[in-house]
Amino acid sequence: MNLDTRKYVIIAFFLIVGVIYATRLFYMQVIDDSWTLRAQQIAEKRREITPPRGVVFDRDGRKIVSNRTYYNLMMIEKNIKNFDTLKFAKLIGWTPEMVRERFKEIVEGEGMYFNRHTGKKQSNYQKIRPYPFLKELTLEEVANIAPHLENFPGFYEEVTSMRRYPYANGANILGYLSEVNREEVDKDAFYSPGNNIGRAGIERFYEEQLRGQKGIKYIVTSALNNAIESYGDGKYDTLAVQGPALKLGVDIILQAYGEKLLQNKRGCIVAIEPSSGEILALVSAPTYDPNLLIGKRNISENYPALVKDPSKPLYPRPLAAEYPPGSTFKLLNSLIGLQEGVISPEFGAVCDKSVVGCHNHASATNLADAIKHSCNPYFYAVTRRIIQQGKKRSNFEDAEIGLNIWADYMHSFGLGKRLETDITGIRPGLIPDAKYYDKWYGHHRWAFSTIRSISIGQGEVMLTPLQMANIAAIIANRGWHYTPHFVKSIGDKGPLEQFRTKHYSKVDGRHYETIVEGMRRVVHEPGGTGKRARLKDIVVCGKTGTVQNPHGEDHSVFVAFAPMNKPKIAIAVFIENAKGGGGLWAAPTAGLMIEKYLTGKITEIDREKSILEANFAYK
Amino acid sequence: MRQQQSIIGHLDWPLFIAYLLLVGMGLMTVYSVAFNEDHPNILDFSQKYGKQVVWIGVSFFLGLMVFLIDADIYRKFAIPIYLFTLVLLVIVLFMPPVNGARAWLGIGTMGIQPAEFSKIGTGLLLARFISEVNLKQQTLRTVFIANTIILVPMALILMQPDAGTFVVFTSFLFVMYREGITYDPLVLGMINSIPGVKLKQTWVGSHFIPILFVVVFLSLVTLLISNETLEYGFLPGVEIPGMYGVVMSLAIFCIVLLLLLRLVYSKRERKRALLVVAIGFILSSGIAFGVNYGFQGLKSHQKERIELFLGLKEDPDGEDYNRNRAMAAVGSGGLVGKGYKNASVSSVESNHVPESETDFIFCPFAEEWGFVGTIVLIVLYMFVLFRIIVIAERQRSKFNRVYAYAVGMILFYHFAVNIGMNIGFAPVIGIPLPFFSYGGSSMMSFSVMMFILLKLDSQRRDILQ
Repeated sequence: MNLDTRKYVIIAFFLIVGVIYATRLFYMQVIDDSWTLRAQQIAEKRREITPPRGVVFDRDGRKIVSNRTYYNLMMIEKNIKNFDTLKFAKLIGWTPEMVRERFKEIVEGEGMYFNRHTGKKQSNYQKIRPYPFLKELTLEEVANIAPHLENFPGFYEEVTSMRRYPYANGANILGYLSEVNREEVDKDAFYSPGNNIGRAGIERFYEEQLRGQKGIKYIVTSALNNAIESYGDGKYDTLAVQGPALKLGVDIILQAYGEKLLQNKRGCIVAIEPSSGEILALVSAPTYDPNLLIGKRNISENYPALVKDPSKPLYPRPLAAEYPPGSTFKLLNSLIGLQEGVISPEFGAVCDKSVVGCHNHASATNLADAIKHSCNPYFYAVTRRIIQQGKKRSNFEDAEIGLNIWADYMHSFGLGKRLETDITGIRPGLIPDAKYYDKWYGHHRWAFSTIRSISIGQGEVMLTPLQMANIAAIIANRGWHYTPHFVKSIGDKGPLEQFRTKHYSKVDGRHYETIVEGMRRVVHEPGGTGKRARLKDIVVCGKTGTVQNPHGEDHSVFVAFAPMNKPKIAIAVFIENAKGGGGLWAAPTAGLMIEKYLTGKITEIDREKSILEANFAYK
Repeated sequence: MRQQQSIIGHLDWPLFIAYLLLVGMGLMTVYSVAFNEDHPNILDFSQKYGKQVVWIGVSFFLGLMVFLIDADIYRKFAIPIYLFTLVLLVIVLFMPPVNGARAWLGIGTMGIQPAEFSKIGTGLLLARFISEVNLKQQTLRTVFIANTIILVPMALILMQPDAGTFVVFTSFLFVMYREGITYDPLVLGMINSIPGVKLKQTWVGSHFIPILFVVVFLSLVTLLISNETLEYGFLPGVEIPGMYGVVMSLAIFCIVLLLLLRLVYSKRERKRALLVVAIGFILSSGIAFGVNYGFQGLKSHQKERIELFLGLKEDPDGEDYNRNRAMAAVGSGGLVGKGYKNASVSSVESNHVPESETDFIFCPFAEEWGFVGTIVLIVLYMFVLFRIIVIAERQRSKFNRVYAYAVGMILFYHFAVNIGMNIGFAPVIGIPLPFFSYGGSSMMSFSVMMFILLKLDSQRRDILQ
């Protein structure tokens, strides 16, 4: 047997394997791209960078919402290896039980879902997903932990930012942030667990603008998911873009002053710049310090108390509370009367207390004086003329037509519907129309005499303080308004589109002057109900209101604008359960606010003092 | 001194230089893959590259010793050397296990792996036995003794357990095959027991070992890539199922083989070659299809067990399997690689590919240098293997020839399995890439093995036997 040929068998093996391997390597390395993709999946991680939220300025450029940097200790369960609970607990200053509890809490916090394929309930928790294990650590805290994290694969620190409110005011305007929940993460790809989302106020309404754009950083990672270096020297990275700064129409100094005036009271102040519709101040009393609701630690500590507080500090009264407007409503009835032609500015009526109660004053011989005295019988007569225009022989049919005409006008003043400002949670108020009373009394079973309290802003009519202030703005503008809004500019792009259209009321501009004159007399003429709003060098036009409150003391209301010509501020003040009428408490409050805004000073020290001392909150 | 002068004159420089190149490339790759910024000096002995430098130094020293000792000593002392390595293999079984295997002798990182050195002892004894003057190749006794020489260390190694080295020991079967010691006596014994049959030899029995190798290799490759879908960048949209890829590759290979044979064969021989290759193609395609069909026909839990063994399936812990990561590292190297020290998947720091400085060192090399680097490495290994065959065939002494074949086959096995598991052609069994992988035992044992071969070769004219 010739064994020498067998060397060729062995050589053939060497050759075959060599050629096959070379071919395979050529295929894998040069031809087939899928391995490159696979390598990217393995080693290059897309890490999202959440930018700090956009900051917020007030109308004078004061920063009222800013950011502070914090750190989250993140964990990815899949990457956790050889976890030493005791050591880790020691590192973060916990007990091992607390660490175990926290793991449980994270998993349970994600909740369950129903898996249709398996027919079982399964946890939403995913081992491959990063979850914040510890939140909102300060630099000092994280500096003690971070250097030791390499001993705990699966844990890493992440920079995050939290809000800071340099002024402790405007909580109901600004809102607050809290962690996204499960549904929000599923609904919007922007969010991942541990991210914050706006929960109320501006933070919520402008969430999409404020949150900015997440940056994407491609990094080469180790099997433990630790970053090693940036991929391709960062040329594929996109930068995180901070959301644009919001410039509010709010004057934070005025806001703070309003909150101070309403201390120990329940009520609202809404101030609007008539020419732009920008809200200058929106005071909801009682209120809270927005710094109470920063971050998870604070929220879990303070939120329950705020929710339980019977005075409802979280409730945005100016937007959501619906009150009868009281006598301030007479302004609108007058305007409708003039436009409908059922009265003239020279219309006079006897103050006949047999019909409806009134205080002692000379009978008004014209509309302006009637406004000055807030004569109930006079406006009763005016509104009767609007409702019962005599177009039908039947009183009932006539009232139906009249009321619907009246309600139409009211809607054009932004009443009876949501005044869609840029904070959610607003209420529409109520302007009753024929359908509404049909439900109560039946079709053609009511007439003016049934519904007469609408003439003096009582009964079924409901307005939010925002709507009251907007009425002042409409009158100040002599017939039009922009929808009141908080944000005057997103970045440098101006306000949202919906705040750029003028809305005209159905009452012609010429009819307003009489009303404006009446409002001037309310404040500036002897016998006017709103003389406590009077200012030395500024002509204030206002109207008082005293809202009968079946549950307690009357509410005190005042709507006003100033100056009379080229008005710069329109305001509504509503103080709940104030002893005494609108002239006593709401009017001076409005006067102080106007003075503060227009001059930056307060001259009527006594008035200020008495208001600050007044306490109507706890009865 | 006479010997030292003669060794420089008679040293096989091509093989020696190729060896040095591989050692150098290996050290360079270890330096890259285990690079620690705090300890950038390659001579920093706290780092793996520093240690590797030490191992290489020790290996060169051992090489010098080998060169100084007379070559005849290896033949004379083959039995004691073999027995010594066996004793070490027994002692190691009583050592505390490291990573689940009792493979390490010594303390901590300074231990050695007796299994690595037992290859040398076994190679020497096998050479000694086969080179006996009055050995009859085709007897049951010869087959039995030769197999016992291999099987004793194999059994001890399996007890550690060390599957990789166990497999490597089957490379000695090829050495026996080359020398005519095959399983034919067994086959003949069986066949001739049938009344009326009287054969002197059988083809299957004589060539049992290479046939087995082909079948195993083909089966493995079929199993490993039949689930893969091959796509070609220059043929967009064309996807070839892995199974057909195997058969297509076989066909292409056969055609290339025929074209090559045309160059050396005469017309008559060509016809025979065509027939042989055609039969070979049909048979091997049949094996591939058969294995694939048989595998698909298995019950799912059986399938799963095989897939787990081959590393095709994620293990129950949900970890990505090593093979896939290693292949991603190799495949992402591209034509020219990501650049030295730029391996993103297979650096020790990233730890995506475990053991990337030892068993999977081909990964970082392939990732850093791309196809250009890997083809150079393959050619270099091919050169080493062919050079060893050349050396083996030029020996006058049978002992030298058998030993040379043993060295060649061991290196070939390590090369084929180690690179195979990096490119998805072999299951993941941990054996080092000779001269390349980090590790003292493998560096020293392969070097000593190589130096003994060089020494024997340099003295081939002195020895008549």
